Formats: sequence, structure tokens, C-alpha cells
Amino acid sequence: MPSSAACKRPENLVEGLSSKDPGTRLKALRDLKNQIIGNRTKKLRYVKLGAVPLVSEMLESGSESVVLVQAIATLGSFGCGLDAGVEAIVKSGALPYLFSTLANPDEKVVEAGARSLRMIFQSKLTPKYNILEDKEMDFLFSLLNSENETVTELAASIIMHSCETTEEQKALCGSGVLDKLALLLEGSSNQRDASLDSLASVVKNNREVVSKFVGLHNGKVLSSVNGLTKDRSPRTRLLACSLLIALGRACPSQLQDIESKADLVRILVELVEEPGRAGDEAPRALGDLIEKSEEVQKLACSVNAVEKLCKFLHKGSIQAKPLAGILHALAELCSNLEDNRRLFLSLQGLPLVAEMLNHESVGVRIAACICIRNISRSVKNLSDGLTDKSIVIPLIHLFDDPSIEVQVAALGATSNILVHFTTHKSIVFECGGVKQLVKLSSSMVSELRVNAVSALRNLMFQADKMCKENIMLELTISTLASLICDPEPFVQEHALVLLRNLVNGNVDCINYVFAEDGLIINAVTRQVWNASSVGICIQGIYVLANIAAGDEFHKEEVMRILFPLPEDGRNQSILIKFLQDSSSPKLRVATLWCIINLSHLDSPGAVDRIARIRGAGITCAIKIMVNDPCLDVKFRAKMAMDQLMASGN
Amino acid sequence: MNFCTLGRYRGGLSLKLGRSGSNSGLDLVVLPLQDTFNYIAATSIMSTSKKVITREDWEKKLNDAKIRKEDMNKLVMNFLVTEGYVEAAEKFRMESGTEPDIDLTTITDRMAVKKAVQCGNVEDAIEKVNDLNPEILDTNPQLFFHLQQQRLIELIRNGKVEEALEFAQEELAPRGEENQSFLEELERTVALLAFEDVSNCPVGELLDISQRLKTASEVNAAILTSQSHEKDPKLPSLLKMLIWAQNQLDEKATFPRIKNFSTAALEDPSI
Repeated sequence: MPSSAACKRPENLVEGLSSKDPGTRLKALRDLKNQIIGNRTKKLRYVKLGAVPLVSEMLESGSESVVLVQAIATLGSFGCGLDAGVEAIVKSGALPYLFSTLANPDEKVVEAGARSLRMIFQSKLTPKYNILEDKEMDFLFSLLNSENETVTELAASIIMHSCETTEEQKALCGSGVLDKLALLLEGSSNQRDASLDSLASVVKNNREVVSKFVGLHNGKVLSSVNGLTKDRSPRTRLLACSLLIALGRACPSQLQDIESKADLVRILVELVEEPGRAGDEAPRALGDLIEKSEEVQKLACSVNAVEKLCKFLHKGSIQAKPLAGILHALAELCSNLEDNRRLFLSLQGLPLVAEMLNHESVGVRIAACICIRNISRSVKNLSDGLTDKSIVIPLIHLFDDPSIEVQVAALGATSNILVHFTTHKSIVFECGGVKQLVKLSSSMVSELRVNAVSALRNLMFQADKMCKENIMLELTISTLASLICDPEPFVQEHALVLLRNLVNGNVDCINYVFAEDGLIINAVTRQVWNASSVGICIQGIYVLANIAAGDEFHKEEVMRILFPLPEDGRNQSILIKFLQDSSSPKLRVATLWCIINLSHLDSPGAVDRIARIRGAGITCAIKIMVNDPCLDVKFRAKMAMDQLMASGN
Repeated sequence: MNFCTLGRYRGGLSLKLGRSGSNSGLDLVVLPLQDTFNYIAATSIMSTSKKVITREDWEKKLNDAKIRKEDMNKLVMNFLVTEGYVEAAEKFRMESGTEPDIDLTTITDRMAVKKAVQCGNVEDAIEKVNDLNPEILDTNPQLFFHLQQQRLIELIRNGKVEEALEFAQEELAPRGEENQSFLEELERTVALLAFEDVSNCPVGELLDISQRLKTASEVNAAILTSQSHEKDPKLPSLLKMLIWAQNQLDEKATFPRIKNFSTAALEDPSI
């Protein structure tokens, strides 16, 4: 049988759509419909050829049912899963005409109209239905009350698409939408699925609506949703689980039952392996359920979630969307629990995820980075694989990724991994990582700056002298000084920690602080006196403490800074202020360390410095601290007092 | 099968009674030789550790289970309707008064599609499906791919090599681009074009009628699902449940089994 439709060139077919002869037009329309259904490539082609407005015209010109049905179906198909198609439909002004077909006396036209609209309302590009307007709300409810199944499904679709704000949720709830949707739950399988989907939109993040829903028919509706998580249809199971998760998120006391949470994890993990839409969307729901909940992470253990997901990953050939979802779910599972991370590593999960760093999908790359970041929260002796070239090099390559989100995620992962390097950080230098990090630390995008400086900070952590020097060669003193004074508070804090790591342990490295007219030390001084965030003060004081652990010159410089003369114009009792800061034990400890290092008895000028410290009334302040509620503070206070009192007087 | 083995064992006999394939059994070890024969005589009457249900008891239990005729009729109707036997369904409805759970007119449409695929008229089938419900092929990429694949197979079967090549390029290759999971099957199908003697090549089974039937079944299922109907009839599932239940019970008891499912005759337990 010759494939006549395939022989016809698309341009000819489009011409046929504008033919004067109605018979030719109808044939062209039918052919077009049959060519595009299921065929994304053809849809795009015909959209580009301008077919959509021509079909919309046939809708508008009050044609007979036969033509209407074909035109409606064709438009619906253009709108199926194709952004360009939906755009073209909206632009052609067809939507109001499509809505009017729902009132057509011919049942076939109504059915076609409902189907197409339902399809079009799956797309985010479709303009929102104005739920808050009375007329529109009434119309929506008339659809919900329809005898025609597809029309009721359309109403549910519209709700799912357009119900976003609390106001809209309230308005729908107030008009009795929950009852209607509950009715649909008892309908056909398609109605039930549509209802579950739209209910999730109505209850989302809205405690009031959730409690109304839970109370519906004395909890019977909720029970039936619970029952639907065990339905034969995978899609129904997924939608029921998603609804329960949404209820639980809006109102945590709702999903209290541990057993039911474990059930949900188990059901969703099984759904991941289902072919088709249910399997594609299950990982996302699983990620939502686990998100930030240590309890659920533990439950997931008991149903072997990590093993099952890893096993599924190993099978390969998974599409991008579910793949990203699975990686996210694994990342969530490993976010807090060491056991899960250990399990994941033992199942050879790391090499798999490393491969995904090169995946063509942005979503997958991001998810892979987040996964690695969470795994690298692991304690050192489990993370041998993390410092391997196969992970580090692809991650560093992602610093150059076209997508900023990927860059941020890669930086986050690298930052964590860098902590795990004990020696041989050379690999980071060799593949240009340090250069990249320094470049990103001056990016216009604050998120990139924050993460880049955080990574540099970790790179500097316990690095050997040569490594530190190499980093400073790239970074330069002036850049570090300006980072310390960056507009972003987090950047300031990370930069100070970077500096703290730099000057820790190597006397020579302390000299960077005073080089170039004391650019860095001046910046630190400004921060310690002016910073509003206590975190920044803490790091600033630690920097000074570390400098005070250096030689005589260094100690004297710190004294000069911390005990300013009146003409220096700075608050003279800053140390006492920090010592007495009741909100932050960490600040008190940091300040005590500073004093301990300054008054260290083994150095030549110790006696003199101690006298000056005592003279500033510091001893009185510390005396009280030996009874500090925080153990760490108590211990350091005693240590400081011992030193300050040891030189007699 | 039960077994009873005797063995010599250090001046005595060991006796093992059991059921092959199961973990249970009785182990009687080391009987002094003199007492053996008396003992064996006693134990041959002894039953295994499983409960025994006699045929009489079993049949009584079966008779006590009340199953409504309406339910059985519903199962039959469900089978006829899902598999698409319209005339039989009509007749059955008239004779038993059982209402079908699907509009019988939609069955005719669905059967027309199924028949078209079974006869190799795939293009016709596609048009019919799109008339019935245009969403089906739009939301079932795998089904659409299989239908396109069948079209290609039919072109090759009819020796239209040029057209087949063009079709593969125009229609099938984009499917592979849109969805990577189709690539393997796509390659297999296109491989048909590489062979002179298609019916004897490694992928020759694609030309089998069974391939058409497979695709036809897939379309049938998709149409049923779109109509909110179960795509599988309930009867075969019930049969599977029966077999499963018998196997489960077998581990705990001996009872008259059904082995022959066309006669449903009860067979006595082996002891």
C-alpha cells in the first residue's frame, strides 16, 4: 500500500490548507493530522511552515462538524509536548474558539475540543486560566459538573495548570472544588488520575486546604488516596504518592505515620523501574519525599533504596529527566547519613556518577555534581575515590560549563572534595583548577564568587608551604584584600577563612599580610571593627590570633591593631566587647586564643605585652569567664588567666 | 514425590522420609538393627509433617464457597469485551442479561484497528486510531514507533526496497533521534534491508506474522487504556492466581490439585 501521505511534500500540503475547494482543504487537514500525530519532527516542520494559523482559521470560520473535529484534533496534536506548537496556537488566537467548541451541540466536537484543550493545558506556555474571576470560576465548575468524562478531566487539568497562588487555592476551595475532585476520584481511571494530579496543586503548601481535605467525609477521601498508592496502574500509584507527599509537606503532622512513609519510599523506588511516564517521574517524587528529612533517609535504608537505585543506574540507557531525578534522589539519601554514603561507595556508584559529569543534559550534570558534593561530606577514610583524577578533572572542567547553575554545582562539589586532599594537591594546579577558581572568584555572579572562594579556602586548608605560595601567586595579595571587603558577606567570611588557613602554621606566610603596604592587614582591621555579622568578626579575630602565633614583629603588629591609640580613631575596647559577647561562644573563644597567643610566655616581649593587656582591663573581663557556661570558653579563659597571672603582679 | 530411604549406618539403620524438593522431612537415625523391621512397619503408616486434606473434605470446602453466577458472567463478559469478540459479547448479553463494561460500539472501532494491523495495513490502522482518539499515538511514543516499524517491515516484505529506504530515513530515523531507547530496535529493523534472503536472515523473525500480532495487541491495549478500561482480561489473571495459590498451599498441606486446566479435574494427593 503506497504511503500517499508521505509522498506529499509538506509545502504542498500547507498550500492545500488554503485551497478554495472545501474538499481539498478537508483532505489536506486530515493528511496533516495523520502526519503529525506522534511525530515531533514533523510537527516542528509544519509549525515553521505556518500551518497552525491556517488550521486555526478553519476553527474560527464556523465550519461543519467534520471539519471542526479534524481541525481541533490537529491543533491539539500541535500542542502535545511541543513548546513551539503551543506558542503558535496561542499566537494564532485559537484558544477562545477551542473553548467555545465545548458548547457545541455535536458530542464529537465537544469530545475533540476537551481532548485538545486538556493537551494544551499540560504546557507551561499556555496562558493561565483566570480562576479568580467569577465568570471563569463558574465556567470551570460547569466543566467539572459535565456528564462528559473528558470535559471533567479538562477541568482538572486546568486547575492543575493554573492554580498557583494561595488566593487561587482559597477561591477554589471556597467554591467546593475539593468535593468535586473527590467525586472524580471515584470515577474512571483517567478521571481519578486527573483528580489526583489537580488535587496536588490545590493543596500545595496550604495548611488550611490540607486540613479541609483531610477532614473530607470524615477522612474517607484520604483513606481512598492511601489505597490508591497500591493501585494496579503505575501512574495512579505515582500520583497518589505525590499527593500524599504534597499533603505531608504542607502539614508535616499529616504524614506522621512512619510505616506509611516507609511504604511510600518503597513504592516510589519500585516505580522508578516502570517503563513509561510513571517511571520517568517517580524519581522526582522520591527526591521530594526524602528532601532534607533524616528520618526518611533512615527509612529508605530499611527498604534498600540505595541498592535498588544504584542497581537501576548500572543498567544504563536512562533518559535525561529520570536520570537527573535518580541522581537527585541518591544525593538526598546521602546528604546526612554516613551509612548511606558508605553503601553508595561500596556499590561502585562513584564511577557511574563521574561519567554523568559529561552528560549532554544540563540537569543531569547539575544532579551529578550535587551527588558528589553530598557524598564528599563523608569522613576521610571512606572517601578514597573522591580525590581521584577521574572525579577531580571532569569537575574542574565544569567550571567552564556554559550553564552557570552547573558551574555553581561543580564548585560546591569541588569545595567539599578539596577538604579530603591531605597532600598532593598538585592535581588541582595541573589541570588549571586554581587559575579557574581565581578567575571565578572575581565573577560578577555572587553565587559563583562565594563558591569559588569557598573552594580556595578549602584548598588552602593544611596545605604545605609551596602549595600556599603557588596559590598566592595566582590569587595575588590585592585580590585577596578586595575579597575580604567584598560586598557579599559570605564572600568576606570565606576570604577571611582562606587568610586564616594561609597564615596558620607557617611564619613565612604571615608576611603576605603585611606586604604591599599592609593591604591585607588593613582590610582585616576594617572588618574586625566594622563588620555587622558575628561570623566575620570571629574569622577576623582568628586571623589575628594566627598572626600573633608568629614572631615578635607579628605579635607587636597585632598588639598595635588590637590596642589602638586614641588618635587611631577606633574603638579601644573592642576586645572587651568581644569577650563579653553573650550571643556567640565562638567569638569569645577566638578572642581568648588571640590573647593567649599574644601573651605566650616563651617570646621575648611577653612581659611587656602582658602588662599592656592587663592595663587595658582584659584580666578583669577574663576572670568572670572562668565560670562561662560554654566548656570551651571556660578552658581557654583559664589558660589565658594562667599566662596573664604568671608574670607576677 | 515422597521418598523413603534406608541406609546402613554404624551398626544400625538410618531412615529418611520426606518429600523431594521441600525442606521438610523426617529423619530417623540409627535404629538398632533388631528393632528395625518392626519400626519400619509402624512408620510406613505415619504421615509426613504436612497436613492432609482428603478429597471428601476438599470437595466439601469447594462446594461451601459461594460464588455468584453474576460474578462469573461478568468475568466472561469482561474477557469477550477486552479481547474484542463483539458478536459473542452481544449474544452473551442477550442470553445472560450481563451488561458489558464497555460500549459495544467502541469495540467495533477497536477491532477494526486491530484487524488492519493483523492484515499488514498499518497506514490504515494509524488513520483509524487517530480518528478514534488522536491522543493515543501522541502519548505513546513506543507504540507509535512500533507501528512505524511495522510499516517498514511491510514495505520490505512486499519487496519495495526503494520506498522502504526512503521511509526508514524520513519516518524511522527521527524516532531514534527523539528517543535513544528505540535505536537498538531501529537498527535491527533496518538490518532487514541489508539481506538478500530476508526470511532466512538473523532478524528474519520480524517478518513473522507473530510480529504483526504483537503490534496489534499493543494497539489494542493502548486503546483500552485510553478508554479507562483495563488492558488485560481478568480471567487469565485468575488462572495465574489459582496456580500460585496451589503452589503456596502445597508447601503446607497435601490436597487434591487441579493439574489439567481444561478439565479442572481434581487429582488425588499422592499419599
